[in-house]
Amino acid sequence: MRRSLPTLVVVVVGLLLLVDYVLINPTLAGLASGLLELIVLLAAAAALAGAATLVLRHWTDLTERRRDPLGSGVLLAGFAVMLLAGFYPGSTGASDPAVRWLVAALLAPLLAALFAMLFVFLLTAARKGLTLRTRQTAVMLAAAMVVIVLLLPIGGTVGDSLAALSGWAIAVPIGAVFRGLLIGVAVLTAVHAARILLTVDGADD
Amino acid sequence: MPDIGALLADLLDFIGEQINASSLRLGAIPTVALLGIMLVLLSLIARPTTRWVARDLGRLAAVSRAMALAAESGGAAAFSLGSAGVARAASSFDRLQTLAAIPVLGHVARAAARAGVPLRVTANDPVTIHLADGALEAAHRATETEERQEGSSTEYLGEGRGVAAAIALAEAGAPAAAFVDGGLAEEALLLLNGAQEGAAWTSFGTAAASQAGSVMLEGDGNLIGPELYQAPSDLRAAGHERTGVLAANRIIVAALVTIVLGSLLAVAGGVDLAGVLAGR
Repeated sequence: MRRSLPTLVVVVVGLLLLVDYVLINPTLAGLASGLLELIVLLAAAAALAGAATLVLRHWTDLTERRRDPLGSGVLLAGFAVMLLAGFYPGSTGASDPAVRWLVAALLAPLLAALFAMLFVFLLTAARKGLTLRTRQTAVMLAAAMVVIVLLLPIGGTVGDSLAALSGWAIAVPIGAVFRGLLIGVAVLTAVHAARILLTVDGADD
Repeated sequence: MPDIGALLADLLDFIGEQINASSLRLGAIPTVALLGIMLVLLSLIARPTTRWVARDLGRLAAVSRAMALAAESGGAAAFSLGSAGVARAASSFDRLQTLAAIPVLGHVARAAARAGVPLRVTANDPVTIHLADGALEAAHRATETEERQEGSSTEYLGEGRGVAAAIALAEAGAPAAAFVDGGLAEEALLLLNGAQEGAAWTSFGTAAASQAGSVMLEGDGNLIGPELYQAPSDLRAAGHERTGVLAANRIIVAALVTIVLGSLLAVAGGVDLAGVLAGR
């Protein structure tokens, strides 16, 4: 009984959105649109609450010298700088040049640097994968090597043949695996969504 | 003063007006097909345990043992709910992966609560953190270990997929057991690498097809593609149900092999395998 109210809300909202998807009705469309706006508002409120929690948590860490005070200090300083850039008198908010500069000169390079490590980490992961599951990882890496060879920028007849072969590999075997995965994911996503809607509990050991 | 009859008439009028003002968005046949698919899905849901899979998805059956080992070594466990979140600007497919990971978190949290292992749950979405809080609380209540709940924590890392990966790499703290389940994207390899650094036992899962390779390379146990959605159902299956499914699988394989072999023999040499099997 403890879960009856949330269950009722979820079922009613889910069915309403489903019926709105199937039927064209102005009243239903208005209701569904209102619900979707409410969801956006809730998400925005949750994001604000999350930011406040993050600041409080790191402020406590900084003042009580717990965990990583230096990291907390950097986070709070970054938070303050970004807020100042977006809220100083006369600021145009997210499109303000100061905010844009902070994003382009600090955040974007930081993220680019992070993702630049992917190649190195891929090699580390391949080594680890080979120790964990030798056969499957070997097959996967062999397939990756074949794809790399097929995509080599070679000209002439050999290059044309490789390009044609790579197109076939992407469209047929690789495409088949991806389609299989996506179909499986789509079916089980729908089943899982309906199970959430009906609150059919999964894990119960 | 309106009587009940008038009220009912008004209500019927309103319903009639609404029906008159409505039309089918997709046409009759697609609508029936859509509702038919929903019916089939609901019939699948009516029996939530997995029917045809009996293997240990994502090594989740061994979580209790991993937690017992963690308790012996005095270690902690870490659980990341991916980087898609629930209320973030991600696709609905990605968000549902986070929801699918919550029952897995519940399973891990119960094992951690029983063993007395502190569990640290991280996510980059405040709504997900709220769900994780609920899962931890429910786990401690179910195992009657509320006094141990203080040892476990949930942490909102901040917005962005890159943030989740960066923090996982920066804070690689060698947990005894590490789990990452939920929506992942291009940051997957970095996040998984940070999570598994020094961990004695790992289980990773995502339904993102493009990240299947990352999960396979990094995790001891893995849930790839649809398996992330299967796992919560499978966790519920009792031992005898698993044995039944395993036996059914073998019978199906044996039947298929017999059919194919019999057909080939019939085509090649005129041998009637069905006759031999049926004693004709």
